[in-house]
Amino acid sequence: MATLDLNAINKSFGSAKVLHDISLAIEDKEFVVFVGPSGCGKSTLLRIIAGLEAATTGSIIIDGEDVSKSHPVDRGISMVFQSYALYPHLSVYENIAFPLRVQKLAKGDMDQRVHKAAEILQLTDKLHLKPGQLSGGQRQRVAIGRSIVRNPKVFLFDEPLSNLDAALRGDMRVELSQLHRELAATMVYVTHDQVEAMTMADRIVVLNAGRVEQFGTPMQLYHHPATKFVASFIGQPNMNLIPAKVIGTGENLSVELDGGHKMALPVDAAGISKGDMVEVGIRPEHVTLGDSGLDISVHVLERLGGVSITYGTVGNGHRFCASLPGDAPVHEGRNLTLGVAPNDCHVFDANGDVLRRKSAPALVA
Amino acid sequence: MTERIAGGHIIVTDTAQPTGRSRDVSRRKVLPESLFAWLLVGPAMLFIAIIVAWPLAETIRLSFMEAGLGGEEYIGLANYEELFVSRKFHQTIARTFYWMFLSVSLKLILGLIGATLLNAAVPGRGLFRVLIMPPWVVPIAIGCIGWLWLYNGYFGILSGTAQAVGLTDGPFEFLAYKQSAFYSAIVTDVWVGVPMVTLFFLAAMQGVSRDLYEAAWVDGAGRWYRFRRITIPQIMPVIVSMSLLSAIFTFNSFEIIWILTEGGPRSATTTLIVDTYKTAIGNYKFGEGSARAVIIVLLLGAFSLAYLFLLNKVNKKYGVK
Repeated sequence: MATLDLNAINKSFGSAKVLHDISLAIEDKEFVVFVGPSGCGKSTLLRIIAGLEAATTGSIIIDGEDVSKSHPVDRGISMVFQSYALYPHLSVYENIAFPLRVQKLAKGDMDQRVHKAAEILQLTDKLHLKPGQLSGGQRQRVAIGRSIVRNPKVFLFDEPLSNLDAALRGDMRVELSQLHRELAATMVYVTHDQVEAMTMADRIVVLNAGRVEQFGTPMQLYHHPATKFVASFIGQPNMNLIPAKVIGTGENLSVELDGGHKMALPVDAAGISKGDMVEVGIRPEHVTLGDSGLDISVHVLERLGGVSITYGTVGNGHRFCASLPGDAPVHEGRNLTLGVAPNDCHVFDANGDVLRRKSAPALVA
Repeated sequence: MTERIAGGHIIVTDTAQPTGRSRDVSRRKVLPESLFAWLLVGPAMLFIAIIVAWPLAETIRLSFMEAGLGGEEYIGLANYEELFVSRKFHQTIARTFYWMFLSVSLKLILGLIGATLLNAAVPGRGLFRVLIMPPWVVPIAIGCIGWLWLYNGYFGILSGTAQAVGLTDGPFEFLAYKQSAFYSAIVTDVWVGVPMVTLFFLAAMQGVSRDLYEAAWVDGAGRWYRFRRITIPQIMPVIVSMSLLSAIFTFNSFEIIWILTEGGPRSATTTLIVDTYKTAIGNYKFGEGSARAVIIVLLLGAFSLAYLFLLNKVNKKYGVK
């Protein structure tokens, strides 16, 4: 049972302000992922929760108790580091037992907890080895084992998979999700990889330049991005953004895309007037091969078997990417017409804020 | 593989063919690889032969001689036999090991403390890092002359302070008494040796990943616990190799003792290296001096072998490849 509340966290390093008024309410047993580009402040925020950095202002509440001034060990958190931070001179057993030795736990109790953690992480036959004798994935599991034995209220993960190769990363994602279910603990996970965020998170916090852009479930972020930043950060390949001019407001927003294609989009157009410039966002997977629609000149084609990722330009040289069926009759150097359903389009105003979509797919739980 | 000389070149015909190649296509090289390797290491080996091997061989030869200014005469193991039964020589060896043990221990302990302080995030630590250098940077002779003044009974600040606070009744000549001369020499030797040890320890400490400390801190480990369970094991290979280096330097520490006391008073500061110098150069007994030098080589050789064995074990234990 552990909730984690962040209240108006600000952090400055000298004159550089890296976190701006961050307030989040993370629920018990929730798996929350902080995602954002390098330097967005996600790791700093995690370190503030851990107690490795002090917030300039603001408070951290774990389970209703203000721990802003507490020592990390008194906060009831444990942390898994990107580098694993294993002690190379100690065996796997001693690495996992380290926090318990610090607590001066009785030998029998310690033994039992280390073996239980090792069992969960399939490390039982590796306990006598040194970290140097383990593979990357096994080292990662030892680091997780070290945080499990403490029975923390909140688990913190700082980019734990970024040192692993792609295949192993996929496996570890699944293992971590299973572990979360097994331990039924509150977890906060930092990554720059939106795939990790989408696949593992109950809810995602998208951070940009020290501000929370959006906090929501993966599907909310995908279907209802609050800002242009979230829209282009979530989803693979990235969302296409095409400048457009508003030619009429009313029930639907009428726009003329750069390149001349006109569309009537079902969005809430409050505050938008005729002649304004907006940007229309179209996800690569939401286009179809058609006779009328956007005219794309295809530059590069990547056939992956199941899908064909098509890169080209639209209008005055705006990059456009389309994810088409694997056997789509597309050729590099030729032109292509793509159909776009108005319901699938996102519209962003000049500030990058979204215009609410009136019709969008129901969110899956 | 066959080798033959053809027109001044060594031609190697490699008949062991890799699979998939016809047998009559033979690989030809101008020089065999092993000869080329010898050519590369040759100059270095020649250099070592001239500056190490030849003097060593000459020393060993002289140790079997009665050699002085008047000439040489072969006397077999007589020089060694004499040392073997000499009580005075036994005392010198014991004194040398005591000197080495005490001085090296102090250098390591002070070096460890110094490095820990210099590694701490304190303001102005860059300045302190520079300030510990002078004992190492100043020529040993100059530094020792400074210490001579410090130890002087009439003009020295140490004697003066001791009198001022009432520790001694009159001037105290630190280098005039057996005990105080020995420990004064140790202090100076430590003063010269500490900066190097400190800097090596500091470099090793800075190589320890910050994550390890943060992880331990999050787990609740205090300062002392982190030092004991992370810093020390992580820098253990450097501690071991530094103690070997420092032990050899200290064992052979000559200038400091010679400038301060010339081995006196009454041999109180005569270590093996000083004894060797006094015998061979001071008394022109080249044969007896050489026998002492050979014993130094044997002792340090055995010492180094034991250390290399230990270092290997430590590296294995602490996960360094």
